[in-house]
Amino acid sequence: MPALLDEVREVARGWRWGRRPLVPRSAEPFAPPPEPREFPTEWARTPAGRVARAAIQRFVLRPLVWSETAPRVHGLDHLEGLRGPVVFVSNHSSHLDAPLVLCSLPERWRRRTAVGAAADYFFDVWWRAAGTALVFNAFPVERSVGRRLSDTPWRLLQEGWSIVVFPEGTRSRDGWVGRFRPGAARLCIGAGVPAVPVAIRGSFAAMPRGRGWPMPGRYPVAVRYGPPLFPESDETAGSFMRRLSDAVARLWDEDRGDWWSAQVRAARGTTPPPAGPEGPRWLRVWEATRPLPRRRTRPRVWS
Amino acid sequence: MTRPGFVLEVDERTPPLLVHRGEGFGVQRFPLGTRVVYPPDSLPALPDVRGSIRHAIMNPLGSEPLPELLRPGMRLTIAFDDISLPLPPMNPPDVRQLVLEEVLELAARRGVEDVELLVANSLHRRMTGKEIEAVVGERVFRSFWPESLRNFDAEDPGGLTYIGQTDKGEDVEISRRAAESDLLVYVNINLVAMDGGHKSVPVGLGSYRSLRHHHNVNTMLHSRSYMDPPSSALHGSAARMGRLLADHLRIFTIETTLNNETFPREFGFLNRREWEWSLRDQAGYLAAKKANDAAPGRIRREVFRRIRAPYGVTGVHAGETEAVHEQTLANVHRQQKVEVSGQSDIMVVGLPYICPYNVNSIMNPILVMCLGLGYFFNMYVGRPLVRPGGALILCHPVPWEFHTVHHPSYVDFFEEVLAETTDPSQIESKFEEQYATDPWYVHLYRNSHAYHGVHPFYMWYWGAHALDHLGDVIFVGGDRRAVRRMGFRAASTFADALEMARERVGSSPTITYLHSPPLALAEVR
Amino acid sequence: MTVALELFRSVPRYLAARAVGERVPGLVAGPLAPLRLVNRDEPVPPAEGWGRVAPRLAGICGSDLATLSGRTSFYFSPLVSMPFVPGHEVVGDLFDDVEDLPAGTRVVIDPVLSCAARGLPPCSSCAEGSTGRCDRVTVGHVSPGLQTGYCADTGGGWSAMLVAHRSQLHPVPDALPDERAVLVEPLACAIHAALRGRPEPGDTVLVVGAGTVGILTLLALREFTDAGSIVVVAKHQGQRDLARRYGATEVVGPREAVSAVRRGSRAFRLQPERGGAFLLGGVDVGIECAGTRGSLDLALRTTRAGGRVVLAGLPVAGADLTPVWFRELEVMGAYASGMERVNGDRRSAFDLAMSVAAEVDLDGVLGATYPLGSWREAIDHAMSAGRLGTPKVAFDPREDS
Repeated sequence: MPALLDEVREVARGWRWGRRPLVPRSAEPFAPPPEPREFPTEWARTPAGRVARAAIQRFVLRPLVWSETAPRVHGLDHLEGLRGPVVFVSNHSSHLDAPLVLCSLPERWRRRTAVGAAADYFFDVWWRAAGTALVFNAFPVERSVGRRLSDTPWRLLQEGWSIVVFPEGTRSRDGWVGRFRPGAARLCIGAGVPAVPVAIRGSFAAMPRGRGWPMPGRYPVAVRYGPPLFPESDETAGSFMRRLSDAVARLWDEDRGDWWSAQVRAARGTTPPPAGPEGPRWLRVWEATRPLPRRRTRPRVWS
Repeated sequence: MTRPGFVLEVDERTPPLLVHRGEGFGVQRFPLGTRVVYPPDSLPALPDVRGSIRHAIMNPLGSEPLPELLRPGMRLTIAFDDISLPLPPMNPPDVRQLVLEEVLELAARRGVEDVELLVANSLHRRMTGKEIEAVVGERVFRSFWPESLRNFDAEDPGGLTYIGQTDKGEDVEISRRAAESDLLVYVNINLVAMDGGHKSVPVGLGSYRSLRHHHNVNTMLHSRSYMDPPSSALHGSAARMGRLLADHLRIFTIETTLNNETFPREFGFLNRREWEWSLRDQAGYLAAKKANDAAPGRIRREVFRRIRAPYGVTGVHAGETEAVHEQTLANVHRQQKVEVSGQSDIMVVGLPYICPYNVNSIMNPILVMCLGLGYFFNMYVGRPLVRPGGALILCHPVPWEFHTVHHPSYVDFFEEVLAETTDPSQIESKFEEQYATDPWYVHLYRNSHAYHGVHPFYMWYWGAHALDHLGDVIFVGGDRRAVRRMGFRAASTFADALEMARERVGSSPTITYLHSPPLALAEVR
Repeated sequence: MTVALELFRSVPRYLAARAVGERVPGLVAGPLAPLRLVNRDEPVPPAEGWGRVAPRLAGICGSDLATLSGRTSFYFSPLVSMPFVPGHEVVGDLFDDVEDLPAGTRVVIDPVLSCAARGLPPCSSCAEGSTGRCDRVTVGHVSPGLQTGYCADTGGGWSAMLVAHRSQLHPVPDALPDERAVLVEPLACAIHAALRGRPEPGDTVLVVGAGTVGILTLLALREFTDAGSIVVVAKHQGQRDLARRYGATEVVGPREAVSAVRRGSRAFRLQPERGGAFLLGGVDVGIECAGTRGSLDLALRTTRAGGRVVLAGLPVAGADLTPVWFRELEVMGAYASGMERVNGDRRSAFDLAMSVAAEVDLDGVLGATYPLGSWREAIDHAMSAGRLGTPKVAFDPREDS
């Protein structure tokens, strides 16, 4: 059917398949504001998508991350006895964070967890969007101000999916923890689900902003889960967010030292903010990229 | 806020543009700089049409509310537009059905017993029972068909009343039942600006004797355009008749306007501007086009015939004809009018599969001519889109095909009249009388479902202004024999047509493409 | 000895030609033709008043082609004598002195072999001058044969020599070229056919077919009757042009014919469940000039009640005669010619034809001539003469010597 081919070719050329659509110059004044259109990700949660993702996470993603870094995971016992869905609220300083959280979760949780990813970066082009959606079970999150909030996370929670949210809205520029935005808290209150705080340390050092691959040398990273927080009745998003933020700070403190002294400092209200030291940028980065002390739990068989 | 219509200028970023080609369509690249006239986006539909109808007839313009005109013992006639409106036929319920139901409800409550419903088909073919039912709805149809729901018969010797002459000497003769009623309610659908107003009753219920005063070459040459009633001699004459009628007869007009939702969802891309086509639209276009091209002719026609437009109603106005029509026209303009600055050397139109006279029928070459040189050429206010002596390029296959039941006189017109001359005036003086009075055509008009013997002449007159104005008419992909019979030229591709037109209008012509349907009315400054 | 094309009896060829002749005309001109080019003895004048004629041109008539392709009725079989040399549209030079005509006179031949030629006292038809209706075409001086060109003894036009009786000879004025003279015989027949329908002044006439017969009939109608509008049904462009030239009011294709007649007569048109449409009303006179079933059906279905239908072409079986009964049509044949009544005068159709041929521009009617040796090409050409834009094809036996 050469005629069909010709016509497909004509349409492909005319509408610039695989390229950005263009509006004729004279039509620009009449172009409608771009539809807030969400990349469809439901397909990634179909049974076929789940099977594919489970395989990829188990046989590709986790071995990769665990071989390029040396993750330590703590606090998974807090999830025992907890019934989903929940919102995992984590600080964010590296592309490693999402795989670290996902792959450190027990299988039971992992297969029912979705990740909120920046719409403007991960869902910008279809191939990146499709990959992210499949591998991380990601859904697009609009982070620019003034954008209509998508109802996808609500829907996911209602369907029983737990979700991972990075309430800073972006990766940290210097490795320290930034201000949490209240979206995640609003989500928990609205959907009536608990939030599980997660602190990740060392991922900035292992793979800071701008790198496409972890630093060589298996940097240690820590993923520490805290006890779930339930929104109080008629608690505001702001206050719940503050509680969450404090919880992450406590986990961070705990990971730096030990559980008991962190508890003590928390009780005294002297938990050091995980916002890092005051000072010029270089100093903050310098401190943040100092590798975590290497763990020596595993006996060195060959030494 | 609905986006207004606008004029696109084709640039390097412009995708190929959709062109209708009869029972088919395709995309076509236009030369850079071509102006393309797009109609405004479809207006939002009235949320509660029945409520709007009730409001209109209870608060009419220049008239008492309808209930006050209804009383027991009166003779009530309700006439409504025939199958030529709207195009394509609309998704049920037809807005005429909604209006009729409201009016009849009132009549029943006010104790009116003598009610008759008339299809205002004028010299058009009689509608079949099924077609009428689709327009009036099952309830009305069951109650009135066939005793008091009828097609108007313009050749019934006992069914006409001669009203008199206008001050310009035009005979006015209309349906006897309508003329002898205490109240005539007219229910209209105003798809384009030529419809409605005083054209409804004097034309829709008029006889040949009456129609010949405005359906003639001279009038059509002075209707510039007939889509712009104030500049149209046709409408001037109809208005004189309408005013004369209004002196003899109480007329309550109900007019409705539609938005531009012309094509159903399956053909959604036809309603959309090309550069805004999504992948789904593009795939839909390709699939629809391939399926359509591959389908046998009969199936293709059947698919097109079954298209029902998801039109929304944008306005309902009722009361005295002229006051109502002013509002109606404003609504039509709101939906269709586009400002265009200046004329061009070449005008391009893709002709769709349907025109007012081939619903459930076949679009024969004469109707193609009428649609292109009549309707689309006249879709202007002010000046034509193309300069005097310019060229008109029409995309349509112009098959040499006639519906033998609906268009018997067209066959003869094509074979006899056009073989001799294509000049409207000569045709009028030499042949019109013979065809208009041919007893066989009269018989078929009255008893079968045939257009009147004179109807093909009107179709040809409809194009008289264009024939007079244009220097060249070229059909892209048209059947050569049929096109030549009509005195036009056929080109196998659009590029060839442009080449041919250049011979006539100069080597670097300006081109305007009227992107329609959905319909656009160009206001040319 | 003389060279001649001879039609002989061949049952297989006849059957084959009859079976496929209409669909594959090429075969009729080729292997299936029961025709051969022979050297045979010159025909001998059988009696006083006969003389030899050397044909200059001899036309190929539709009836000749029908004979070749086996489409004629067996009705004719006792009316001919085999083998014969076809050719009855002849202009030639008189080879002998015959009564008042000296040798060398250019003549056209009235082919009918009537009582006079057969040496018999005139039968009643001959006595009236209607020689075409002669009842004695099988007896007398020559073998059975309705015309020269169907008789074994006389020879025919498709040869270098034939014999003819004085009653058949019509001298040709010097001013009339051969190309027109060869059309005198068909023209005489056409005049006869046109007058058979007795069109009254203003009557509408339908001429179905625009081959030589149709065109000449049209010409005759215009010359000798006051018929009003004449609709001619023509298939091919060349025929249409000729029909317009000779005064047709309207020329239409076979498929538009019913509509055209309907328009002209404002009749009612009805469509049977099967078969073609017909009219209630129609023309006053229909003249069938194509010799096919469809054309006869068309004439019968478009002639008004009480009208007249003339069969000018060789009739074929199978037409639906219902309209003849229901519409009370007068159906009449028109064969050959004779004395005709024109405006009150009785004149020989041949004389009329001769004068028309002299006055009217007939150029273009005779489209091609072939020597006898190229008879296959000639027959093939004649079989699609209409499509090829040459109404009449003729042999020129002079070219063979």
